[in-house]
Amino acid sequence: MSAGAIFVMASFTVPEQVGTNPYALLWLLPLVAAIAIVYKVTKLPTITAGSFLKDVAVLSGSIIVFVVVIALALFILTWLITG
Amino acid sequence: MVRRSKENQTVFLITVGLLAWVVPGAGHLMLKEKIRSLIIFATIVLTFCIGLYVGSIAVIDPVGAKPWYLAQIMNSPMVAALGHLTASAPAKYRVFGRPNEIGQIYTSIAGLLNLLCIINAVYLAHVRGTRPAGD
Repeated sequence: MSAGAIFVMASFTVPEQVGTNPYALLWLLPLVAAIAIVYKVTKLPTITAGSFLKDVAVLSGSIIVFVVVIALALFILTWLITG
Repeated sequence: MVRRSKENQTVFLITVGLLAWVVPGAGHLMLKEKIRSLIIFATIVLTFCIGLYVGSIAVIDPVGAKPWYLAQIMNSPMVAALGHLTASAPAKYRVFGRPNEIGQIYTSIAGLLNLLCIINAVYLAHVRGTRPAGD
């Protein structure tokens, strides 16, 4: 087995460093994109590049907006209880 | 379209479901949905690999995280081999904290998305199989 292949396989045996900072929330974005892509690929009757990308972008945006709204609501609720 | 007998139709549905489980997107490929199968395969495999890369293969833990494992194994039966590997050497493969959370969420969501695709492929196969001849 080549050194490159061993290096790639070894990178899957040790976890990456992920900090507990606000930037860690960006890990949400690829997951939202994956959910939107798979959902739309099962729902659309025909797949054309333009309409598919547009639908995926709209669904991804909707999920992100909904997550932000829920986060704000929870923040306000916490502030009302503890503030 | 040629109608299948009831027994053949059942075998066909089971085959589509099993294929879709073994290789993400293979069920749709069997139904001649090439673009759908390619998108499903690329998306699910990439999501699963991101989860494994961030959290390492230790995120697949059939002993300490059974509910997550149930979702993860929906990716493919090959996940069981990884689970066996991590369960046989728990001291060697360990992950804690944020990488563990992100890795488990990514790999489990990938599994649940594949479950959605399995159900969709079987449904499509069923609908096409029960459609009257000539459609």
